[in-house]
Amino acid sequence: MKKRAASSGRRAGVAVIAFFAAVAAFAQSRDSVVAIRDATILTVTKGKIEHGTVLIRGSKIAAVGPNDSVTVPAGAQVIDAAGKFVLPGIIDTHSHTGVDGSVNEISLPNTGMVRIGDVMTNEDVSAYRQLAGGTTTALVLHGSANPIGGQSQIVKWKWGHPVSEWPVVGAPRTIKFALGENPKSSNFRPPPGTPLQYPQTRMGVEEVIRKSFTDAKDYTARWDEYDARRKRGENPLPPRRDLLMETMADILRGNIDVHSHCYRADEIMMLLNLSDEMGFKVRELQHVLEGYKVAREIAAHGVGGGTFIDWWGYKAEAYDAIPYNVALMERAGVLTSVNSDSDELARHLNQDAAKAMKYGGLTEEEALRLCTINPAKQLRLDSRIGSIEVGKDADLAIWTGHPLSTYSRVESTFVEGEMLFDRQRDLQLRKDLAKEKSDRLKKEADDEAAKKKKDAAAAPAKKPEDTNE
Amino acid sequence: MSRRSVCFVVLLLLAAPLCADAPGVYAITGGTVHPVSGGAIEKGVVIIRDGLIEAVGANVAIPPDATVIDVKGGHVYPGLIDAATSLGFVAAPRRRGFGGGGGGAPAAAPASQAPETSPAFLAVREAKLSDDDVEAKRATGVTTILTVPSSGIFNGQSVILNLGEGSMEARVIRAGATQQVSFTPRAAWTYPDSLMGVISYIKQSLLDAQQNAAALAIYNQNPAGNKRPDQSASADALAAVLRRDVPVVFVADSELAMRRAMAIANEFKLRYILSGARQGYRMANDLKSIPVLVSVKWPAAPASKEDKEEQPLRVIRDRQLAPTTPAVLQKSGVNFALVSGPAKSGEFIAGIRKAIENGLSSDDALRATTLAPARILGIDRQLGTLEKGKIANVVVSDKPIFDEKAKVTRVFIDGRETKLPSPEDTARRGAAAAADASPVEGTWRITVKTSTGDASITATLHVENGVVTGTFSGDRGSGSIRNGSIDGTTVEFTIAAKTETEATDWVFHGTVSGTNMNGTVSTNLGTFQFSGSKGQ
Amino acid sequence: MSRRTIAITCAFFAGSLFGQSVIMNNPGKKPAVAIRNATIYPVTSAPIAHGTIVFDKGVITAVGANATIPAGAMIIDGTGLSVYPGLIDAGSQVGLQEMSSVAGTVDVAELGDINPNARAEVALNPHSNVIPVTRVNGITTAVVEPEGGMISGSSALVQLAGWTPAEMTLKAPLAMHIHFPRIRTGGGFDEQPQDEEAEKEARKTYTKNVDKLRDTFRDAQAYAKAAAAKSRRFDRDVMLEALVPVVEGRVPVVMHANLERDIRAALKFADEFKLKVILADGEDVARVIPDLKSRNIPVILGPILALPTHEDDPYDLLFTNAKALLDAGVPFAIQSADAHNARNLPYHAAACAAFGLPKDAALKSITINPAQIFGVADRVGSLEVGKLANVIVTDGDPLEIVTHVKRLFIGGEDIPLDSYQTLLYDKFSKRP
Repeated sequence: MKKRAASSGRRAGVAVIAFFAAVAAFAQSRDSVVAIRDATILTVTKGKIEHGTVLIRGSKIAAVGPNDSVTVPAGAQVIDAAGKFVLPGIIDTHSHTGVDGSVNEISLPNTGMVRIGDVMTNEDVSAYRQLAGGTTTALVLHGSANPIGGQSQIVKWKWGHPVSEWPVVGAPRTIKFALGENPKSSNFRPPPGTPLQYPQTRMGVEEVIRKSFTDAKDYTARWDEYDARRKRGENPLPPRRDLLMETMADILRGNIDVHSHCYRADEIMMLLNLSDEMGFKVRELQHVLEGYKVAREIAAHGVGGGTFIDWWGYKAEAYDAIPYNVALMERAGVLTSVNSDSDELARHLNQDAAKAMKYGGLTEEEALRLCTINPAKQLRLDSRIGSIEVGKDADLAIWTGHPLSTYSRVESTFVEGEMLFDRQRDLQLRKDLAKEKSDRLKKEADDEAAKKKKDAAAAPAKKPEDTNE
Repeated sequence: MSRRSVCFVVLLLLAAPLCADAPGVYAITGGTVHPVSGGAIEKGVVIIRDGLIEAVGANVAIPPDATVIDVKGGHVYPGLIDAATSLGFVAAPRRRGFGGGGGGAPAAAPASQAPETSPAFLAVREAKLSDDDVEAKRATGVTTILTVPSSGIFNGQSVILNLGEGSMEARVIRAGATQQVSFTPRAAWTYPDSLMGVISYIKQSLLDAQQNAAALAIYNQNPAGNKRPDQSASADALAAVLRRDVPVVFVADSELAMRRAMAIANEFKLRYILSGARQGYRMANDLKSIPVLVSVKWPAAPASKEDKEEQPLRVIRDRQLAPTTPAVLQKSGVNFALVSGPAKSGEFIAGIRKAIENGLSSDDALRATTLAPARILGIDRQLGTLEKGKIANVVVSDKPIFDEKAKVTRVFIDGRETKLPSPEDTARRGAAAAADASPVEGTWRITVKTSTGDASITATLHVENGVVTGTFSGDRGSGSIRNGSIDGTTVEFTIAAKTETEATDWVFHGTVSGTNMNGTVSTNLGTFQFSGSKGQ
Repeated sequence: MSRRTIAITCAFFAGSLFGQSVIMNNPGKKPAVAIRNATIYPVTSAPIAHGTIVFDKGVITAVGANATIPAGAMIIDGTGLSVYPGLIDAGSQVGLQEMSSVAGTVDVAELGDINPNARAEVALNPHSNVIPVTRVNGITTAVVEPEGGMISGSSALVQLAGWTPAEMTLKAPLAMHIHFPRIRTGGGFDEQPQDEEAEKEARKTYTKNVDKLRDTFRDAQAYAKAAAAKSRRFDRDVMLEALVPVVEGRVPVVMHANLERDIRAALKFADEFKLKVILADGEDVARVIPDLKSRNIPVILGPILALPTHEDDPYDLLFTNAKALLDAGVPFAIQSADAHNARNLPYHAAACAAFGLPKDAALKSITINPAQIFGVADRVGSLEVGKLANVIVTDGDPLEIVTHVKRLFIGGEDIPLDSYQTLLYDKFSKRP
């Protein structure tokens, strides 16, 4: 059952206190130690360890190795994971979970000044349900309504924590680009009375991006001029500070990573060529369903590809999508990941990874990387997440069986050493919360009945002119 | 009888407007006086002279020229201050946001009569306060309000005014008191149409005002050789905010919204107030240094049992905890007032009562609707308590003002007694409301002029939740009404009309006017006229 | 070039984008085939290690540990491999849409609320690229159903191979599909009640819709009576005619409803008209089990890999329904409710197995169970002598993603596992 969002200074009901007591029982302090023992550990980067132990201290992985090579200190909380598997927390590079309000600022072709980070909420139960599927980190994106969308936010699903704690501290800044049918509004029209918006073709999409960077260079030049004049002792009028132009300028400086939604091979080539020409770097192409057609060009640019593996045919640009896309891109040397663009798919990205074994013959190791270390690299957080190694964040999940088997499910999920999902606890919590709900509703109904009774008792004194409310 | 006494008697008997030149000296006696600046005074006296309070106390000498008003055990209060309303402005329509991942298509917004606002919008100039609105508000004991539109993002500069009779000029206490900001996205395809867009828009607007002010400062010192910067009332209004001359009121109800407002305010180092704050119970500690206006429009439960059960526990819990916010804030030492916000005039006192039921003391509730809002708005040297020298806004109620059965019996604003709605007024307003409810309900005797003669049908119609059901009997058999619907005074329903040979559907389309209904009936043999009347 | 020639040329090129990627093996031939030394899963009986299955002229002729192989049969060595019945999707739109955003290629939902005379098998495109893509994971048979409005139309049970819709169709009309009106007065991300106005509107619309549905069925009953009486000539009504077998109980209704209150209202409606009901979608099905049992109503669950509607629903609500139905003895099958990814049907079933449903029950839910529910168990759903030779050969458990389907037979015909997608894979693998 979902956990209720917490925040400081909160008034607690009885069930809430009970909940906190339960959470407190699971390793809260900075130096608390948890040992997961006797599992098959899929480290992802350092092979498979059968009958292995992971030692977590505070928020980090303190030790990994075969059972007898890891000393479990006294006082540690020990989880017996015999017969189970441990996988790093899955990383989803395409999410729209946890956004308050619309994920699209649809009104302009370039809305790079808006920030998903300004509107995150910690009350979207989808985040909890993703923890239940082993996913711990996500890149939460603006939608694909515009060629240049808003700035995205890398978060961990820290269910139960204030939303201010969800963004990954020190993570790269990122921004959303979108190519193809969506930003050119092919599949939806504004209501009658509202004019069509530029662009309406792939040509226009390119021009929006080109012009935005061109304008950004002018903007930077204006401010450079201003700074120079001030250095000379002059007192010129300051130019306008423009949040959009500053964002574009920051992309050019390499301070913001571009993750671009794209489908067709030709628009992929357009973006790669434009990035060369204008001097910006594309970190990752997303969806990139025709990536396999230009895989070597993508690899040559050092750009990654994050995609869902078997969705196709829902739009014209998705018609040539093939589930072998991942394998073909991987083989060409593209850093490839599987991602969701769906609250639902985000719960079982392990299965999309498995599909890369079926379609295209990736090995088990290659498949596991698709949802762990590869997306970590695409987010430039691979020093902290994406594998089970000493010193990395303790983001991991305990599975009942191999994560690439459809019969496996997640038992527990840790984010930075804190167990934020546990199936046994969930089974109990849902009972507690059902009870709290029925108690609260009953109280409301009782109060209402009492009030009606009181009103009826006081009623006889009503005068004829009085009206019925 | 002196002329003063005559006027007084006229007042008392007819509840008519004051005689125009009645001198304003009153002594309110015989009740418990609640000055708020100190403890309650049993059998206290309040002396009003020329619009101001002259004296308050237990043993105050009554001036010989005073009109004595014995409130006979009633309660005397400073006029309540409602520091957040949109009285005089059409409310913004509630628009459901559009969501979706990829490139979803949002729906068109309905046409709205709410005013177009901007930072330059002046509530003092644009508010259209009807007599009905003002009287209804006064009748609840509120004598001073702050009003500003709810539409738009920068809702404009609010006005604080007394609710006395007269023009805006006479009522104004302070114009341009605050700048209000709401996090309301615009219609789809108009920037900004998302919440994150609204936040960026607010920040960019403040940056632009900053730049404009800096540019103007340089330009005004040395115009020669410099391009002349734009000058706009909106930029000026925001510059005042950036200079901290004018506080910003951020409309924010949820914890998340309040924190977003705080982030913006901190980034630009604004003086600010939070308004709404119904999830304040969750973050009282973080509100300690911020003035908070808590709206008493508490979340409501859906009507049906099934809808209630389908709601998430999170929503149910919040609905039950929201009214505890005032008590929680009080306990944590937060500087707060109780306001209407989006609540209608009639809901203000009931909302305050709910806060009292949920742990706020009535004394603290009184303070939260008098001295606290006065302080937050910076008008506490003039209003908020019954103290010598302050404006004579005084309210008398027969019982303690927040009691369920309490009735406000007299209202003084700027030292003059004001008209309270008479029973006729209340009845008129109530009848108007009742007429809206169900003009169609009742038993109708209907005559249908068919091609083969008149058919008499009796239809009993029942309206509930917008759905029409009922039964019919008479010349065409009997049974249940089907497919009943109403739209204002237009009603439609179907009966299975039986003759010897067949049963066919007769579809009635009627318009109701008072106790008459007229319209047409569609049948398989053609369309006929009908008329009907409702007896009691 | 005449305009006619231009038009034909264009049509040819357009047509050649689709359906030309798959060249049938041995088209039209249903030879004798024997798969030998494989692990055989008949589904209706215990697995057979080192077994043999034989089929000829499109029908299974032998299954067992020591089946006799006729002379001249094509022999497939099944060593290390498994043999299963072709999987059956209990609800899909395969063949009814090509590109979802391109209206010209979508024939799923007719206009309006009442379309009992819309028939899926009429709009089914046998040369849709979706069909070979679906076959890849071993699905040989599917219920293809219309959507939209309240009475969407009738579905057909089809084999996923054939040159014309008639060749594909096993049974039509299979069922009449009704999407019972839903009442949702709450709304929005924060689930605050909509204002009173909107709540009233929603209720009004709901009542209107249910009344409309009821009126239609009453009319259909009247029509059926008149038709049976044959006492007087009357003008025919094709819409009502399509409902006659439904109100007479000869064609079942697949009643689509998810939330408890919608399911209850739907069952009440079905009682009123004495309909033979199969409940579909059924998110809240666990709460209405006694009502289903007392009426002998089977259930079609799916998609399983979907999110529960309500915030407070357990995260595994959709995964655990199958087990709850199994324990209660309510028959059920699983549907993909999809077109382009109907191929993931076995993984919907596997998700149930991850949450308590025994693996063999999961397999049954996409083989024999749908066959029984739709009354075609004499022809499909298991590997038994006399049934159609819908057979798949795999290198493992078809409910596991990593398994490959190696061979596929539909009605005894050897169907290649190529598709538009394998064609593109080949082409771009070979890019120099």
